Amino acid sequence: MKYDETGLRVRFNEVDSWGIVWHGHFISWFEVGRMALLGKFHLLPKDFTQMGYIAPVVDLKCVFKEPARLDEEILVRTTVLKPTKAALTFRFQVLRKSDGKLLASGEETQVLLTLDGRMLYIIPQNLRERLQPLFDYLEEPDSPA
Amino acid sequence: MSDALILELKKLIIETLKLEEVTPEEIKDDGQLFGEGLGLDSIDALELVVALEKIYGVVIPDSEVGERVFRSVKTLAQFVREQSKNSSQQSAISKGNKK
Repeated sequence: MKYDETGLRVRFNEVDSWGIVWHGHFISWFEVGRMALLGKFHLLPKDFTQMGYIAPVVDLKCVFKEPARLDEEILVRTTVLKPTKAALTFRFQVLRKSDGKLLASGEETQVLLTLDGRMLYIIPQNLRERLQPLFDYLEEPDSPA
Repeated sequence: MSDALILELKKLIIETLKLEEVTPEEIKDDGQLFGEGLGLDSIDALELVVALEKIYGVVIPDSEVGERVFRSVKTLAQFVREQSKNSSQQSAISKGNKK
């Protein structure tokens, strides 16, 4: 399964009094990765809303391996599992760019709701069609580094 | 209502959701499945919907229907029974039309 990759640099306001990135910021970095991937396929929250859906997060986990420090360049790698039910499960890896060290990994699940708050138990056909190019992309083999 | 179907559904819930510490006897026929009671959540509902469609061919499209169907094992059994009856009637009708 392919991971999409995007970069960021640790900002001053993300570092705590111990000189390392406060753990909660890793979650917002997941969001950076998720938006970068979904944006490529016009599947941003506004696109979901236009289709008549919202996709709230119902489950989130993060495993912290190594700290990140001020000004370090970070890579956020993101993928989505092919759905077996009416939910989207994203997986993330946060790496330090300089040595490729894995700093954290995580997973997040979103369900689908209509704009009036009805939870969908089956992915509607129009959304399934819109998601297909994303899954086709993620099934492509990773290009050699 | 068939006790066999109720027992089958309890086993299906346990297996699908990997509720290893729960036995079918512990799930009450009228007991709540979500929130209080068995304490299932929205992701559990999605897993159950997939299993129910695969095994019984019944479709629960959304939470509007789900809230009614997943009230208890008894209401779930009732839904499975009704839907199965409808789909066998439908297939009898379509077979009749093909003649």
